[in-house]
Amino acid sequence: MTTVTQEAGAPFGAAPPPADGAGESAIVTEGLTKRFRGGQVAVNALDLAVPRGSVFGFLGPNGSGKTTTIRMLLGLVTPTAGTHSVLGLPATQALPRVGALVEGPAFYPYLSGTANLLRFDAADPTAPRTTARRRVAEALERVGLSAAAGKRYRNYSLGMRQRLAIAAALLGPRELLILDEPTNGLDPQGTREVRALVKEIAADGTTVFVSSHLLAEVEQMCTHAAIMRTGTLVAQGTIASLSGGLATRVRIETPDTADAARVLGTFGLADVRSEAGQVTAELGGHAPERINAALVEEGVAVRGLAVLRPSLEDVFVGLTGEGFDVDG
Amino acid sequence: MRRGTFVRWGVPIATAAVIGAAIGAGPVIAAVSGEPVLPERTPQQLLADAAAATGKDGGLPPMSGTVQQTASLGLPALPQTGVESPLSLLSGSHEVKVWYGAHDKLRVAMPTQMNETNLILNGGQAWYYDSSSNTATKLTIKGEAGKQHRLPTPQPTDVTPQQVAERLLANVDQHTAVRVINNAEVAGRPAYQLVVAPKDPGSLVQEIRIALDGENYVPLQVQVYAKGSAEPAFQLGFTQVTFTPPAPENFTFTPPAGTKVEERTLGLDAAGQQAEQRAEHAKDVADQLKVVGDGWTSVAVVPFSPSDLAPAPTPATGSADAHDPFGGGGSDPSALLDSVLKSATPVSGTWGSGKLIKTKLVTALVTDDGRLLVGAVTPEEIIEAAGTK
Amino acid sequence: MSTVDTSTSPGAGSGVRAGEARRTPGLVPVAETLETTERHARPETPTPPVPSARERWAFWRLLGSELGLTFRRPRNLAMLAVIACVPVIIGVTLRIVGGQGGMGGIIADVAGNSLMLTFFALSFLVLLMMPVAVTVVAGDSVAGEAGAGTLRYLLAAPAGRTRLLLVKYLNAAIYAYAVTAVVALSALLTGLVLFPAGPVTLLSGTTITMAEGLLRILIAVGYVGAGMAALAAIGLALSTFTEVSIGAIAGTIVLVIVCQVLRAIPELDSITPYLLPTWFTNFDAVLRAPVDFGALREGLVAFGAYIALFGSIAWARFSGKDITS
Repeated sequence: MTTVTQEAGAPFGAAPPPADGAGESAIVTEGLTKRFRGGQVAVNALDLAVPRGSVFGFLGPNGSGKTTTIRMLLGLVTPTAGTHSVLGLPATQALPRVGALVEGPAFYPYLSGTANLLRFDAADPTAPRTTARRRVAEALERVGLSAAAGKRYRNYSLGMRQRLAIAAALLGPRELLILDEPTNGLDPQGTREVRALVKEIAADGTTVFVSSHLLAEVEQMCTHAAIMRTGTLVAQGTIASLSGGLATRVRIETPDTADAARVLGTFGLADVRSEAGQVTAELGGHAPERINAALVEEGVAVRGLAVLRPSLEDVFVGLTGEGFDVDG
Repeated sequence: MRRGTFVRWGVPIATAAVIGAAIGAGPVIAAVSGEPVLPERTPQQLLADAAAATGKDGGLPPMSGTVQQTASLGLPALPQTGVESPLSLLSGSHEVKVWYGAHDKLRVAMPTQMNETNLILNGGQAWYYDSSSNTATKLTIKGEAGKQHRLPTPQPTDVTPQQVAERLLANVDQHTAVRVINNAEVAGRPAYQLVVAPKDPGSLVQEIRIALDGENYVPLQVQVYAKGSAEPAFQLGFTQVTFTPPAPENFTFTPPAGTKVEERTLGLDAAGQQAEQRAEHAKDVADQLKVVGDGWTSVAVVPFSPSDLAPAPTPATGSADAHDPFGGGGSDPSALLDSVLKSATPVSGTWGSGKLIKTKLVTALVTDDGRLLVGAVTPEEIIEAAGTK
Repeated sequence: MSTVDTSTSPGAGSGVRAGEARRTPGLVPVAETLETTERHARPETPTPPVPSARERWAFWRLLGSELGLTFRRPRNLAMLAVIACVPVIIGVTLRIVGGQGGMGGIIADVAGNSLMLTFFALSFLVLLMMPVAVTVVAGDSVAGEAGAGTLRYLLAAPAGRTRLLLVKYLNAAIYAYAVTAVVALSALLTGLVLFPAGPVTLLSGTTITMAEGLLRILIAVGYVGAGMAALAAIGLALSTFTEVSIGAIAGTIVLVIVCQVLRAIPELDSITPYLLPTWFTNFDAVLRAPVDFGALREGLVAFGAYIALFGSIAWARFSGKDITS
């Protein structure tokens, strides 16, 4: 996996247009930069384009500037330089149509789940008071918290808190959901629930911008991704285009490596490599089952055959030459 | 972003500037008020006008207002005494409310925190009410006695600028330069200022300013400036004044239920006798008093020893007796004196040695041979006076 | 729609994997909501600018929410309860002491009339206890939300910074008036129970009817409440500078105590008019005859100046602050 056709940094237009075909971006940033007092540059000249209708993974190790970017998008932090627009509007104007979860849940411990959501709903000047209770109940039901609606937040488990935060983001009709590390601190069950919820929300046509330091998560949930490293954007595009730059390989486990390599050569597979007990090659457009049949015909003893698809981690390593710190 | 920061912080800075301007505006506007609104007057004309105006219908016109007295005499630190001690008048600022209806209708109220002292004068009868002790004293002033002895209460006329002004004007003579400023403003009213300045360099007094109302020539303010100081060392004047007859209920007093009522006829009872004794004592002191020099640089010399607890007469406030009821047996004078003498500078000369106390307006010298010299003069002058036995 | 997107894109592999992953969570209870939840229709066009009338209602709604938070919070209610107890204690003590007779001054005044306890309690509590209670709410207002992290969600809602600050200030000012009213009511009730009702003797020695006395209590409450609201502006300003509410609270209380100490030093008489606590006690102007409206006006002007200055400082700080908590 050494040859990488890098589409990284290419403007998003190169990728297929989003499904709703608007060709419009939910988030656009140009040269967005944040230098904190003390000179530390958290985000450096970020050019981000998040298409409408996408599930956009904002990927990077902890401390790579993801949260600072999200805070700038939500108007919590003033950029040092650059511009950004959300849903085609200056960020603060679009906020009523944006649901957000930033750096974990934060609620009033002495209030119930319902009271907490009503509190944040009251803060939104566009949210009608008359429908508040109904919308709060719906949001709670959507995240599966209806049963715990009357319980004080203090007594919520970590997973329930995370779900309440997502419910807060779903209080109104949202066109964009910004979720910062939505599965952080959740057990596998909670993680699965959140991922399912994100997909369900996306299925409604809501654009979801989800930051994560977990490659697998982004790979599983997202249609698009951007990769951040120490405040700089390394690559962005559809998941397919990002990993498509890397070839899918086929691996044959066999004691007859020489014969296997020859057969693969006859198929015209590129980059055939023989190692002890196995042979790998770029799969190209070939069907793995036909390769297997050919190998068996040629009398090669096949112990195993696997198709190796490139992962985002491979992309990340390929782009940065560094390993991805999965644990953060 | 940086520009936005400046703009934002401009708001509180502007607010602070506006508030600062509003606080400073009073004195500044008074000082620079451009066009004099009053016609020019020479000191003689002004005094004549004032005399005519006040003599016309038997004194001051009816009025009410707030009189403020401020003193920053630069005294050595005084030990904490009662709030109403006469000594407290020598530093800080004090306010009294005055309602004046006619020469025999007067109310003076001294408001303090959750308390108030009132003196109400109506005809031949006066009430003194102190809310802190909840006592009302009915004072009947007996013809001659009332005139001979000062009331054991603050003389109402003492706190009106009129009295002080008159007293100070009496000092005008060849040692003094007098001029008139016609664009002053006191208590929001255009006023003349009669400026009296000593010619003698030995005096500590820079000048004395007496403000007379531009319309009816009522003295509104007296300021005494010490040499080398832009702020008056002593100031007594109206901060607010209206020349409309005050409501009549200000001059009627009915002791409220539950109040201790005392009656005194001045000159007959114990208090009167005490006042008499004090007056005699003051007379004794006056007999022993010697004055060295003349005009602004005159120095009073009285026999004095630190064990003598007699109140020292000072030229600026007159007889200390006038203030005494405010003290009402306040502090121990000898302790007070000790603490003052502790901060005094020791001096000596051919005449002996002593201790010198210097304030902005007054210098005092206590000699070891038992004399007290007091005058509104420089230390050099008073040491010289000490040599004149 | 995103499913369509991925399946049509090149690199079918990831599309398949994504599709599989999408189905797995169907096992978890959250999936039930798929059927039960009503979908929010996505607006076809961006929502038109909200009418200003609605914005105004939304402001009062946020203020209502803020007040609900303040007056349901156990800590704030406990402070009100403690403050309500003090006039009762003072009243009972004076009843016992005053019964022995021979007391002069204010004690006799209080023992002599049921309304006087209100003024006495105010003059005592206004020095420190009421400022402490008001400061706790004002100092906590922004810093507390920042410390808990709820501030970022309020602003992302979006509450709007100026709007939120205004709501926070009004909330603190209303709590300031609540504290004042609680003192007055508690003292009034205690006074009516323990001491004789009837005409009130003023400091000037004049007597007024009880109805007028009540009116004057009302004026005093209005004045003292304004003073406490001015203090709340200082607390709010300090609150915008920190994420630790105890810091803002302690800072403001220290400021009040320092002012009270400075006032007690006679040499510093010249600066006392500039200190906020100096003006708190001016409400005794209502106990004079005639009512010294000049003193009240001066005090209110001082309060206004403090509110304007510290309110604008709070705004300058808060409107440009990076919310990183």
